[in-house]
Amino acid sequence: MPIAAQRNGNVIEKGSSLGRDAWLRLKKNHLAMASLWFFVGVVFLCFLLPLFPGISDPNITHPDLQSMPALSSATSMENAEVSYFLGSDHLGRDIFSRMLHGGRVSLAVGFLATAVSLTIGVIYGAVSGYVGGRTDSIMMRIVDILYALPFMIIVIILTTYFGNKLWLLFVCIGAVEWLTMARIVRGQVNSLKNQEFVEAARSMGLSQSRIIFRHLIPNTVGPVIVYTTLTVPAVMRLEAILSFLGLGVQPPNASWGSLIKEGADRMASDPGLLVYPAILFGLTLFSLNFLGDGLRDALDPKSSKD
Amino acid sequence: MIRPFPTAVFLRRISSSIRTGLAAIVACSLLAGCRTETKVDVATREKILLLGNGGEPKALDPHIVSSVGDANILRAMFEGLVTYHPSNDMLHEPGVAERWESNEDFSEWRFFLRKNAKWSNGDPVTAHDFVYAYNRILHPDMAAPYASMLYFLKNGEAYNKREIEDFSKVGVKAVNDFELVCTLESPAPYFPDVVKHTTWLPVHRPTIESFGKMTDPYTEWQKPGNSVSNGAFYLTDWRINAYVKVRPNPYYWDKESVKPKGINFYPLDNVFTEEKAFRNDLIHYTYTMPQNLIERYKEMENSPLRIETYAGVYFYRCNVTRPPMDNLDFRKALAYSINQETIVKYVTMGGQQPAYGFTPPSEAGYDPPNVVKFDPDKAKEHLKKAGYSNGAEVPEFTIIINTSEAHKSIAVAIQDMWKKTLGIEKVKIENQEWKVFQQTVHDVNYEVSRAGWIGDYVDPNTFLSMWVSNDSNNNTGWSNADYDRLMKESGRISDPKERYKKMKEAESVLLEELPVLPIYWYTRVYLLHPDVKNWNPLLLDNHPYKHIDLIAD
Repeated sequence: MPIAAQRNGNVIEKGSSLGRDAWLRLKKNHLAMASLWFFVGVVFLCFLLPLFPGISDPNITHPDLQSMPALSSATSMENAEVSYFLGSDHLGRDIFSRMLHGGRVSLAVGFLATAVSLTIGVIYGAVSGYVGGRTDSIMMRIVDILYALPFMIIVIILTTYFGNKLWLLFVCIGAVEWLTMARIVRGQVNSLKNQEFVEAARSMGLSQSRIIFRHLIPNTVGPVIVYTTLTVPAVMRLEAILSFLGLGVQPPNASWGSLIKEGADRMASDPGLLVYPAILFGLTLFSLNFLGDGLRDALDPKSSKD
Repeated sequence: MIRPFPTAVFLRRISSSIRTGLAAIVACSLLAGCRTETKVDVATREKILLLGNGGEPKALDPHIVSSVGDANILRAMFEGLVTYHPSNDMLHEPGVAERWESNEDFSEWRFFLRKNAKWSNGDPVTAHDFVYAYNRILHPDMAAPYASMLYFLKNGEAYNKREIEDFSKVGVKAVNDFELVCTLESPAPYFPDVVKHTTWLPVHRPTIESFGKMTDPYTEWQKPGNSVSNGAFYLTDWRINAYVKVRPNPYYWDKESVKPKGINFYPLDNVFTEEKAFRNDLIHYTYTMPQNLIERYKEMENSPLRIETYAGVYFYRCNVTRPPMDNLDFRKALAYSINQETIVKYVTMGGQQPAYGFTPPSEAGYDPPNVVKFDPDKAKEHLKKAGYSNGAEVPEFTIIINTSEAHKSIAVAIQDMWKKTLGIEKVKIENQEWKVFQQTVHDVNYEVSRAGWIGDYVDPNTFLSMWVSNDSNNNTGWSNADYDRLMKESGRISDPKERYKKMKEAESVLLEELPVLPIYWYTRVYLLHPDVKNWNPLLLDNHPYKHIDLIAD
C-alpha cells in the first residue's frame, strides 16, 4: 500500500493516550453517558438555578399556603404572590426550591467528604504499599481495626460530641470512608513498585516521597477514579441516613436526606413531600453508580477486550 | 405421551396437597373470625391499657421528675393523700387520707389516714412515710427540681434553701401513725388540690435507704424489682426506649375497684410514629397527634380524635443572663413579632388559643392580662431601642427544642417570623433529646428554649409561682423584686377576688419584663381507642387509671 507507506513516511501517527482510549470506550456505553449528562445536569440545576430570581427562598414560610398542589400559585396573607412548581410543605415552603438547596448540601457533602477520604486513603495506601514490610503490616492492621468499628456509631458519637456542624459532617464521613480507598491503593502500589519504571526511578536516586507521588500514585489513577465515583453516592446516602436520624443538617435548612425524612413523616397527607425528593435522590444515586460502572469498564483494558 | 403416568400422579399429588392446605387455611380463618386479633384486641381482652407516653422517663422517683409523661407513670404507681376525681378536676377523691379538715383560715390542714393502706411489699403506709418524703424532696442535698411545690409548708422554702437545718421546724408533723398535720406558710383553700400532685407522693423509706442515702438521686431503688410503691399498680418492667409496665399492687387497699389488669407506657416521642402505632392497633391512646392528620381524623365517622381544653401554656423561655436576651427591648421585639394567631391557625391546628398572656384563661375566675400581641411596628421600634438599626446586626442565637416534629415546625415558623418582621438572619434551631433537653434548661445553658407548662392544680398560682426569683422551675435567670413581693402578698390573702387581683398585677410585671415569650394556650389533642371506657375530659389531664375500663367495642 504505497499511499499508506508514503504517509507513514511523512507524518507520525498521532498516539492515543490512555485517557483518550478510556473516553472512547466510555462513549460507547450509552447508559454511562446518559448518567454522566444527567448528573452534570443535576449539579448545574442545584448550584445555578437557585441564583435566578424566579426560585423563592427555600426557608421562607407561608403557613396559610400549606400543602399546596404542584403547579399552583396563590396570594399569601402577607399579600405576597407565591407560585409553587412542585407544591408546598406544611409551612408553605416551596418544595422545588428546597430540593435544589437540599441538593447543594447533599452534593457538597458527597464531593467534599469524598475528597477527604480520597486524600487520606490514597496517601495512606501508597505509603503503606510502597514501604512494605512491618510498616505495611502495622498500617494495614490499623485499617482492619477501624473497619471493625461500627462506623455509624462513630459518626453519631462525633456529631454529638462536637455538636451538629455541617463541616463536621464532611470530616466525619470522609474520615470513616477512606479505609477501602487505602486498601485499593495499597494493592495497586504493591504490584507496581517492583516494575521497571520504579526501579529506574530508584536507580536515578529519586527520593521515596517523589517516587510515591510522581510515579506510583499517578499510575493508580484508574481504580481510584472508579472507586471515587462509587464513594460519592455512598457518602450521599450516608448523609441522608444521618439526616434521617436527625444528625445531619439543622432546621430550617434541608438536604435530600432530611427532606425525605420530613416527607416520610407526612406521607399519609402529602405524598409529594416524599416522592419528589426521593425520585431526584434515587436517580442521582443511580446515575453515579452507572457512571462508576462505566468508568471501571472503560479504564480497565482487560474487561473491555470482549 | 410417552410417560403420562408418573406425571399425572405427581400433579394430582400436588393438587391434593394444595387442596388440603387451602382447606386448613379456610378452617383457621373461620375459627378465628374474619380478621386476625390485633395487639389492642388482645390487650383489651386481657385488660392491659397500652398508652403512648411521650419521651423516655427521666426517672420513676416522685422527687426527681418534672415532666407530664413521667408524672403519668407515677400517678399509676403511687397514691397521695388526696387523688384525682375521674371526671372533675375540682372534686377530690380520698386517697391514702380517708378524710381531712382545715382550720378556719385554711392555714392548717389535718389528714386522717386510712389504716388499711399498704405498700406493694405489704408494709402499712403511715403518716411518717409522708413526713419522710417531704423531708427528702425539700432537703437541699436532694436538689429536687420541683421542691418549690412544697414551699406551701411553713419553713419549707427556708429548709430547702438551707436557711434552717432542722426539719422539725418545717410545717409537717405526724401526730401518730395515721394522722398528718400540715401547717402552711400562708392560707391555701385549694390545698387538697395541691397534695394530689406527684411531688406530694409518699416514698418507702426502707427501700430508698437500702440503695443509698436519703438524698441520693437516681439510685437503684426506682428499678423494677426494687421499686416499692403504694398506688393501684407497681412497677414490674422497665426497658429503656421500649416500655414501662405496671401491674396491680396486690396489697392496694382498694384493689377490688382497680379495673385494668395492667398498664404499659410506651415512650414514643415521634408524633408520626405514635399515630402509626395507633392506626395499626398497637396502642389504645396517643400522647400527641400529628398536625397534618387532624383534619382527616375530624372527617372520620366515630373518630377516635379528641380535642379538649387543657390548662397549659406553650411558650419560649429567654435566658436573661446571656446577650442578646439580656436586653429587655430585644425580648420585646421578639415577643411582638411572633404572630400567635398564625401559629395556632396554620401550624398547630388543634384548636389551641393564641396566648396573649401567660396564665391560660381556663383558670377559675382569673382573667389574665392580654398584652403580648403581634404588632410588627412595635416590634421594630423595640429592636431600634435595643440598639440594632436592623435585624442583620443581631448576633447569632439558638432556639433549643426537644426532638419533635411539632416543636420543630413551630420553631421554624417563628424563626421565619423574626426574619420577616425584624430581619434577624442568624437564628439557629437545635434539637436535643428529652432527657438532655431538660438538663440543659435546668442548667440555664441556652439562649431561647421551647417550653410548656401544664397546671398542677386549678389555680393561677401554679403558673405564676414558678417565676419567683430562684424558683427551681424558673430556669431563665430572671428575677424581679416587685414580682416576688406581689406574689408573696397574694399568698397572704384568703379572699379569692383580692388574691386574683394581686396575681394579675404580678403577671403584668412578668409580661412587661418578658423572660418568656407566650405562644399559645394548649388544647389536649389525642387519639383514644373506643375500647377505653370511663376516660373523661379533664382540664389537667390527670386521669386516675384505676377507674379506666377496657371493654371491646
